[in-house]
Amino acid sequence: MRKTLLVVLAAGASFLSAAPAWAHHAFAAEFDLDQPFKFKGTVTKMEWINPHAWIHVDVVGDDGKVTPWMIEAAAPNALLRRGWNKNSLPKGTEIIVEGYRAKDGANRGNGNIITFTDGRKLFVGSSAGDRGAPSK
Amino acid sequence: MPDGKPNFTGLWEALGTANWDIRDHSAQTGPFIQLGATGAMPAGQGIVEGGEIPYTPEAAAQQKENLKNRMKLDPEIKCYMPGIPRANYMPFPFQITQSQRDIAFAYEYATSNRVVNMGKFKEGAVDSWMGTSNGHWEGDTLVVDVSSLNGNSWFDRSGNFQTEDTHVVERFKLADADHMNYEATIDDKTIYTRPWKISTVIYRRKEKNAQLNEFKCVPFTEELIYGDLKKK
Amino acid sequence: MRHLVCISALGVMAAMAFGQAPSGETKPAPATKSWNQPKTPWGDPDLQGTWTGDDCIGTPLQRPVKFGDRLYLTEQELAEREANREKTEHSDLEQVVAPGQAATIGGPEHWMERSRRPCKQTSLIVDPRDGRLPDILPEAKTRHVGAGAIVSDPKADSWEDFDYYIRCITRGVVGSILPVIYGNGQQIVQGKGFVTILQEMVHEARVIPLDGRPHAGPNIRSFMGDARGHWEGNTLVVETTNFVGNTTGVNGNGGGTPTSDALTLTERYTRTGPNEMRYELTVDDPKTFVRPYKVLLPLTEEPGYRNYEYACHEGNYGMFNSLSGARAKEKKAAAAAAAAKN
Repeated sequence: MRKTLLVVLAAGASFLSAAPAWAHHAFAAEFDLDQPFKFKGTVTKMEWINPHAWIHVDVVGDDGKVTPWMIEAAAPNALLRRGWNKNSLPKGTEIIVEGYRAKDGANRGNGNIITFTDGRKLFVGSSAGDRGAPSK
Repeated sequence: MPDGKPNFTGLWEALGTANWDIRDHSAQTGPFIQLGATGAMPAGQGIVEGGEIPYTPEAAAQQKENLKNRMKLDPEIKCYMPGIPRANYMPFPFQITQSQRDIAFAYEYATSNRVVNMGKFKEGAVDSWMGTSNGHWEGDTLVVDVSSLNGNSWFDRSGNFQTEDTHVVERFKLADADHMNYEATIDDKTIYTRPWKISTVIYRRKEKNAQLNEFKCVPFTEELIYGDLKKK
Repeated sequence: MRHLVCISALGVMAAMAFGQAPSGETKPAPATKSWNQPKTPWGDPDLQGTWTGDDCIGTPLQRPVKFGDRLYLTEQELAEREANREKTEHSDLEQVVAPGQAATIGGPEHWMERSRRPCKQTSLIVDPRDGRLPDILPEAKTRHVGAGAIVSDPKADSWEDFDYYIRCITRGVVGSILPVIYGNGQQIVQGKGFVTILQEMVHEARVIPLDGRPHAGPNIRSFMGDARGHWEGNTLVVETTNFVGNTTGVNGNGGGTPTSDALTLTERYTRTGPNEMRYELTVDDPKTFVRPYKVLLPLTEEPGYRNYEYACHEGNYGMFNSLSGARAKEKKAAAAAAAAKN
């Protein structure tokens, strides 16, 4: 079954385009592909704003020093439509963030992979735990 | 309207100087002296019932700080959305489109807008600049509950500010076909000692060719906001 | 196990059912069950609701050349598109990160909005017959195009090097309805004598008078133009003129070659069922394209779907960061050059 699916996708790939080229909003210019990061942080607040939501985390360094970071995610509108809201990421939650650091060296980065410490991704599906946008 | 309700559809605009200061104010030099008289503040009667805003002492101090630093802090200067109630008495018109299910307010300033939900009450999922508006009729008065404001808006150019706990209940009533009485009750336990009220009149624009125009002011603010980061 | 139906007479019949006569003409598909166009209390066709083009997310504006003059997918191609759609849906619901997945620049993938059912069209452009943009005039090609989001190292001397969407100004009329990865809501509110369309991104509100008044004068121009509407049967026809030229284009998010002040848009909104709307757009810009072209975009109403405020400029950290990043890079380069000299 899986093999057939892959063949199908290869055949149709040219017009089944996933994310269109005109997809994102201001990321690439901000971040440096030569400065990847991955760390664990504690959420201090989440800004549910546009054009992109920002998650503020405190990161504890090896020296025990706490550094505040700002993580840029994506527009929250899809999440809001799936039932998530401003209380969905409470202060104090530990998250693991992977992305790339700001070009200007500030404690900012994009959050491309964001998980809880148990490995579950942040904001999967709908807040009600079901499939989210139902397919007809 | 066929359901017997008054029809607010049309183009409206406030007169007066509430956007400068919602309290009584004398004429005075404006913050940008280069603008001379065109940038000065006119005198005007306030729209606060009873005259004073019942600030807590800390909040009163905050307002004075805001006023002193308004050139940096007034969201209007940066073309940020004016929030509620300020959007209704900006010196720009707004268009109301009233259907039997929702009532849309399209404000010319910064292309701000909001839709008043006239159906079952819906809580705001997140805080926003224009808040979440739920409306219902009390006789011929349109009553709009505005919550989930993000607290970043001011009431005017004089530093009278909001917080994320600010809650506004508006009342719109037609005095006659071309005049709307507008009242708003504001409560916020974190900065006021009691709820308070503003009240003013909003006028229907009657010029033959009057229409909502576009004031997308972001391009007028970019030099101000990002100028320091421009390549020298 | 999905059975893939071969292209056959079935495919032709399917094409006709989707509303395309074999000659390539587009006609509205007949309603499958009896449905009456609802009216507002004052008798106008009722088009109200919050609509979205989400189902055509990913369907290209311009038709891939291999499809020739064919607007609609065959049943097999549709099944393939649906299979891919389901794969994406399942992938979005994966609770844990796939082993070996590398982080990229961008937000979390599963935060994007997706189609709920496969779009039946090979392209959104339906005329000219090849579904591709008409040729662009030489003069138009000289217009400045700001950088969009995915450009890694754009020239970033100032905000003007970025496009109008990144600057949080506007995406223009067309850019505000062509579906992208989120923010595709179109809320229609009707009053007596007016239709107002609130487009989620970037918080637009198009106020459309229906009373036959003339357009604003030629010296009043705007990013979203000046719209006038009237009814033709149950179809809302909107004509928009008075555009400021040389700002937004007519591709997704307002990208592409900026259109001129001679642009005229003609839109036709026709409700075709309780949750379906047919949106037809004619783009006519004699200073940009050699001929007008037409777009067809099906819109749907989805349970619980509503617009959310997209405040943009107020939260545009990205602009600060992009400019600041460029200045930091220059400083580094200057320091390196100075060090190399010594």
